This record gives sequence, structure tokens and C-alpha cells, in this order.
Amino acid sequence: MNETPLIEVRGLKKSFAIKKGFLGRTRYLNAVDGISFAIRKGETFSLVGESGCGKSTTGRLVTRLLEPNAGEVRFEGRDISHMSHNQMRPLRKDMQMVFQDPYASLNPRMKVKDLVAEPVLIHTKLSAKERDKLACELLETVGLNSMHAERYAHEFSGGQRQRIGIARALSVRPSLIVADEPVSALDVSIQSQVLNLLQDLQEEYGLTYLFISHDLSVVEHISDRIGVMYLGALVETADKDTLYDNPLHPYTQALLSSVPVPDPTLARERIILKGDLPSPVDPPSGCRFHTRCPSCMEICKQHAPAFREVEPGHEVACHLYDEEMMKLAR
Amino acid sequence: MTRHLLEVEGLRTEFKRGEGSITAVAGVSFHIEKGEVLGLVGESGCGKSVTSLSIMRLLKDTPGKITGGAVRFEGTDLTRFSEKEMRRTRGNDMAMIFQEPMTSLNPVLRIGLQLMEPIMLHLGYDRKKARAHAIHMLKLVGIPRAEEVVDDYPHQLSGGMRQRVMIAMAMSCHPKLLIADEPTTALDVTIQAQILDLMKRLKEEQDMGMLLITHDLGVVAELCDRVVVMYAGRVVEEAPVRELFANPQHPYTKGLIQSVPKLRQKVRRLDSIKGNVPDLSQMPPGCKFAPRCPFAMEHCRTREPELLPIAGDAARRSRCWLTQDETIAQGGDAV
Repeated sequence: MNETPLIEVRGLKKSFAIKKGFLGRTRYLNAVDGISFAIRKGETFSLVGESGCGKSTTGRLVTRLLEPNAGEVRFEGRDISHMSHNQMRPLRKDMQMVFQDPYASLNPRMKVKDLVAEPVLIHTKLSAKERDKLACELLETVGLNSMHAERYAHEFSGGQRQRIGIARALSVRPSLIVADEPVSALDVSIQSQVLNLLQDLQEEYGLTYLFISHDLSVVEHISDRIGVMYLGALVETADKDTLYDNPLHPYTQALLSSVPVPDPTLARERIILKGDLPSPVDPPSGCRFHTRCPSCMEICKQHAPAFREVEPGHEVACHLYDEEMMKLAR
Repeated sequence: MTRHLLEVEGLRTEFKRGEGSITAVAGVSFHIEKGEVLGLVGESGCGKSVTSLSIMRLLKDTPGKITGGAVRFEGTDLTRFSEKEMRRTRGNDMAMIFQEPMTSLNPVLRIGLQLMEPIMLHLGYDRKKARAHAIHMLKLVGIPRAEEVVDDYPHQLSGGMRQRVMIAMAMSCHPKLLIADEPTTALDVTIQAQILDLMKRLKEEQDMGMLLITHDLGVVAELCDRVVVMYAGRVVEEAPVRELFANPQHPYTKGLIQSVPKLRQKVRRLDSIKGNVPDLSQMPPGCKFAPRCPFAMEHCRTREPELLPIAGDAARRSRCWLTQDETIAQGGDAV
């Protein structure tokens, strides 16, 4: 139970400076605004949320492609959030990434074998011949053919390219793979192939996944635990079954009820949220969801709710589940 | 024969490529009635968008050309229309909304002006009346502060708002047929729920026909009355929405429905369709789905089945030898 989580994130913050106009003052977009979560070895933790909620930025912070403004990221217990490039390098081998766009994430001028083995070239001392051999093995592992090794990325379909991206991530035997919308660009029949592959590989290599997606059906299928993000903050985390059976945060509830279900016989009471996502440059006061929340109270407009554990393993940031706050509200 | 609102019969659209040409739509037939939502479903490259562009005759600036078949709108064949006649039909009788609300609006014109243009052109309203109508339409699609938004530029609106504006524009001249090409694909789920809700309401209030093109089976189940499934430029199955999901006939439809993860379904592994969609320039002989089909038989690889009614159910059609063997055994044209 008290085993060190593979990844532990505490109070993570990242903002980006944006300039407006010629003499405009610099404003800050708080992409990630103080989030905390932990991922155990061998589990799949997913971050879900709509565009601009900060889920991709979180993925980049965890892999230290970005440096946080505050908070820490612990990888196997070591704080990596402010390590230098040189300190980070040996660790990069342990955390690899799979990207959303299989068209943009593969260099069109490189052969598949070189694409797949590039991390190996950087991180190990294997010879060219050994790298080629490894690339061929990896291609077979992800369901491609070793004959494909001499080809270029443009000769492959989207699903096959995503397999190449996965083979590349696997090449250095990482313990963590951060997959940022890995199946969003794929057709449904191909999407299920790639999801199955990710699950098989997890079993075979004992991988830990941080899975980032906007698709709640996909997330339910692949995850062990899930964190729901809204405007840069986590609003709820729980294990999969708890979250889908008993969502507590009004945003999670609305999100779940918004998913169109491929079953025409199902008549559902749907929670339709009013309005649009507010701008993260100028987030609402108090609870950042209060402008769209169907159960918004006076207190929500002034005080941001704390992220609290309401039952073991189930955390939520909402005044509705904070008895003291509810007393005050009355 | 009853007259359908829209009847597409044997539509063929080819694209020039080098010396030869590739067939994106290879003999597609379906019909839509007044007040009905027909879903056109399929994966990328199956020809669903080209079908809609062919119906609207919007292929002029592409290498694509309609090379066969007919598109009858209330009985009149649109493929024979001149560009001038077509321009009168578009907007007036049929309108279209596209996937990308970001790129289908002119960024340098105010929303109001863009809305007023078709209104003045098709309904013959003067500026003042057109502006009032534009504001009315914005309110109809649920845009708050419509009086102010009408003077905004597209970049001032969010994606969901822009899609509402596109819907308002498409609906402004009271078309009898609305073609919606992936109208919610670019939107977030909570915004998608808003737009689907709006489209459902408009469909009920306006009594128009709708062709909804999508790859999302959830959206289909939500909104459609009947569904046409396309694969490799062909219709492979047609059915009322409930029947399609309850008892899909074509192996491709089955595979498609099974490969989508569903909320609270709790399966360990997803079923998937093996292989990839065939390249349009290298189509397999016989049934186009045979190379990926788990039930493929010897003759599937050599002879392509026709799209035929399923025995005992006139509302359903399927392009598969499995659903046709009996009718063939009974003398071929039993139906």
C-alpha cells in the first residue's frame, strides 16, 4: 500500500505569458493551476477534460518537456521538476511519449527503422546493426512487419503510423508512457486496434500509462483511475468504476451525460451545460466551474472549493461535498 | 412511386488523378423524406463527404466530377441543372453546414453581414428586414445577446457559437433539406450536447429533411431516424436506426458497432476490424470488404454483391452475400 508511486505530482502550476497588442501588458494564461495526483506502477491513469483544460500541458510537465512554475513532479520518489537537461537525460529513457497526430510526429525524411530506433541511438551504445535488429523486433511487437523497416512514414496509414510511434516509445523500455490523445485522429475500427495493442503491451512489459483524452468512452475502457480536469484544475479523481457509477462533481456528471451513446433505445435525462468554457486567461472567481454549474450556490462565486477526499480514493473539489461549507452556505 | 424529398440514385463521382481517375462514390442510392433525419455513416475515405458535395454540386473547384446517376430533389434531377439554377436551389431549398466552423465563416466580415447575404439574395428582403431576420435566426439557435453578436466578427465567438451561427445561416432561408457534414466533430462534448439538442429541436420545429454525415455512432443513435452505412464508396447497409443497432446485418456494420467503446459496457477487450480501408486506386475485386471480413467466403473475393433488400424486411438493405444467399437460392429476384 505504501509503495512509492511511479509518478507523484503535487501542487503543479504552469502559466504561459501572452502579450496583447503593441504596448499591451503581459497577461498570464494559467494552463495548469495547482494540481496533485499520483500514478502507481503498472496502472493506467487518465486525464480527461475538454480542450484547453490543461491536460496536455500536464502531460508535458510530467515528462519535463516543460518546466513548472511551482509544485513538484516526483518520478520514483525523485523531484524532477527543476532538473537540468543533463540531469534529465538519463531519466528520459524511462518516460516516453506517444503523440496525437501520427502525421506530424514522425519525420518524413527518416526510414521507419531509424524513427523507431532513434531513442536507442541517443540512450544506449548499441551498434547500427543491433539497432536495426531491435527496430524490426519492435515493429513485429506492435503488429507491423519487419519488412516495413526500410519504408518512410508517408507510406503508412494513420493507424500504422500510430503503431510506429508506439514502437518508438517502447524502444528504450520505458516504465512510463504518456499517451496524449493517441487514438483521437484514428477511425473507429482502427482506434480499437490501437487501444487493444496498448493494453497488450502494458500487460507484457508492465508499463504505466498516463493517458490523456477527451473521449470518455475510450478513457473508461483503458483506465484504472481517472482525473477530470476543468480550466487547469482537477475537479475529481477516482478509480474508474467509482467515477462512472457515482460521479460527484457537477462537471463530471454533465460531461458523462453529454456523451452520445450508440444505443438508440436509450432515453436519457441529459444535463446540458449552459454557455461556453470561460477563458483560462481570466478564469471565474471562486469555483471556476460556477458560471456553468447547475447547482451553483452563493458561496461558489466567492470561495474556491478545496480538493478533498470524500471517500477513500475519491477526491473532489466541490462545496456540495464539504459539510462545513454547506453549513456556512445555509 | 411516391416522390421523395431527396432521392439519390446510382450516384457516381470520380476524381481525375494523373492519366486515370479514381472512383470516390461508386453507385450510391438512398432517399430522404420530409421531416426525416438520415445518417450517412462511414470512416474516412468511404465517400460520405464526396456524396454530400455531389448532391450540392459543390465539386466545381475540385478534380471531381459526377459521372453517373441522378440526384432528384422533389422529383427534379439536380445533376442536369445549370450552375445558375443550382445557385437558386442552394440556400433556398437545401443548405449545408460543415465540420469546421472556424474556416467556413469569412474572418473579415461581421457575423450579421454574412447572415444577411443569403437572406437578401434568396428571400429578397431589404437590409433592414434581413438584419431583423438574421437576429431572429441567431435567437432561434440559442445565441445569447443576439442583437450584439450580430455585429461581432467570427474570431470573437467560440467554436460552439460559430457552429450555431453556421446553423442559423443554413436555416435562414427555410431550406427543405439540410445537409450537415460532421457538424459536431470539432466541438467539445458538452458543446456537442448543446448543438445536438439544438438540431433535434430544429428538426421537430421546422419539419425539414436532414442528411447527417458522421463517423460517430453515438451521434447517429442520438439524432437519426434511418441510417445508411458506406464503405469504399458504396452503400453497404441501410436500416432504421433501432434495427441497425439491434441487429446489424452487414459484417462491416457489425464490426463498426462492436469496435466502439461504450460507456459502462465493461469489456476487457474491444472487438476490432482487422486491416485497413482499401486504397481507392487499388480496390479488391469482389466485395470491397472481403479482405477484412471475418466471414468472407470464396465467392466474396471474386463477385461483388449488390445492395438488396433483406428478406422479410423491406425497409432494410444490405450488400452482402450472407444476407442474400437465400434470395438467390429462391430464384434471384425474389423481392
